[in-house]
Amino acid sequence: MIEKILFIMLIFISLPEKAFSMHISEGILPFNWAVIWFAVALPFVAYGLKRFRELSKDDLSFKPLIGLLAAIVFVISLMPIPVPTAGTCSHPGGTAIPAILVGPTVSILITGVALLIQALFFAHGGLSTWGADVVSMGVVGSFVGIGVFRGLRKMKASLGVSAFCAGMLSDWGIYLTTSVELAAGIRGDEPFWSLFSKILIAFVPTQLPLGIVEGAMTAGMVTLLFKRRPDILAKLGVIKPEEAGATV
Amino acid sequence: MSSCECFSDNFNQDHFLAGVDARVKLLVVFALIIMVLSYGGILFPLVIAAGSLAACLKMKVPYRLLLLRFAQPLFIAVVLLVLKLLFSGQEVLFSVNLFGLELVGHRDGLMAGLTIAARILGGVSLVIALGFATPFLQFVSALSWLRVPREFIEIMMFAYRYLFVFLEDGMTIYSAQKNRLGYVGVRKGLHSFGILTGSLVLRGFEQSQKTSEAMIQRGYTGDMPLIESVKFRVREVMMAMACVVCAGAIWIV
Repeated sequence: MIEKILFIMLIFISLPEKAFSMHISEGILPFNWAVIWFAVALPFVAYGLKRFRELSKDDLSFKPLIGLLAAIVFVISLMPIPVPTAGTCSHPGGTAIPAILVGPTVSILITGVALLIQALFFAHGGLSTWGADVVSMGVVGSFVGIGVFRGLRKMKASLGVSAFCAGMLSDWGIYLTTSVELAAGIRGDEPFWSLFSKILIAFVPTQLPLGIVEGAMTAGMVTLLFKRRPDILAKLGVIKPEEAGATV
Repeated sequence: MSSCECFSDNFNQDHFLAGVDARVKLLVVFALIIMVLSYGGILFPLVIAAGSLAACLKMKVPYRLLLLRFAQPLFIAVVLLVLKLLFSGQEVLFSVNLFGLELVGHRDGLMAGLTIAARILGGVSLVIALGFATPFLQFVSALSWLRVPREFIEIMMFAYRYLFVFLEDGMTIYSAQKNRLGYVGVRKGLHSFGILTGSLVLRGFEQSQKTSEAMIQRGYTGDMPLIESVKFRVREVMMAMACVVCAGAIWIV
């Protein structure tokens, strides 16, 4: 069994095409699972909307800011980045960044918007799999990202290290959740855990290094902001006002 | 082909589906997607895929653009097909000894894999056809008619407006970094990509500040105007119903 799985990994490593971030494409999930993931995603999106309304009520610049962040998440997740072990290019998820900057609930909303535009105009993800993608990339990606970031910051880890771990674990969290969604949706009569482990292992060559790349990307983004515009990080509550001006 | 040219909305909108109400197109696609997802075989999704691809070709969508759109879904379809073929099922279809490794393919696994691959093809073709047939603003108007929350639509409109700006900015920075050998070696590549992301976020913040100031000066009070929905045209509704009924008949057969 292990040899077989290694063989499949070898096939994917040798694929000359670009590898992709783990959006679940249109049509993969059967109808009942598509509905279930929509039902799971919608309360989070609704709460994100409620939080967004509260934050944008008094600050007219908040709406354009969130729209622009959605555009940036969209662009980042389309950027080709090299995955060393796979020898291909891949696209990061990018959800840890808005989670760190504007909080996880609004980040879910941003992800939902970016996913809908990607599904319609780039065929990345899909309309029926929008719920599943929001759960993995938006809900899990954002909460893991912010949880790790805030946890490490409380333990006095540096901004760069906290952001790196947040980005990396957020990506791996997305990868795990997508594997659960795929295994549950396509398993047929096969036992869940058996298929889940195969999917998980099959994507290891691209997803593990991709997590590290995403960690580096998140750390690079936060440290650059800290060096050039610490006031923005302080305004958004990412760092304490007195930290602005200190070294990373 | 630049990133912006790849965008469906940037594609020529002078085609046979251009005048059709976006709400009608959206509802037809929703109905067909539900049929594709709830179908247990291969035939129906493939018929839908063929129809959608024919519609794309009639809209004169370039082949290269179609291939680009299908690349990701096809990659995932191949992964799942191989997984199902080699790891699912009982009935042996073939057995190959490859460098001492015994690979067994299963007939029932292959059928299950093909069913999923057909569903992906059918679903993706529908969404691709919808993307090419519907300009963004009409799509937003249709979403508004479907009672999607206004804030969600407003964020979409802001995001869409600045996508092209950031895509161009991102590509410019990426090319400049590449020319300065910023992606030679893993460590350097990771560092360059971090700077690229940070620069984009920084530009985003600065741009959002400028945008909101400019909008407030022009009378922005927090709400953006959306296109008002007009009445449905009877002919379009009848055509759409005929299309869904025909698909339903194939689905049942």
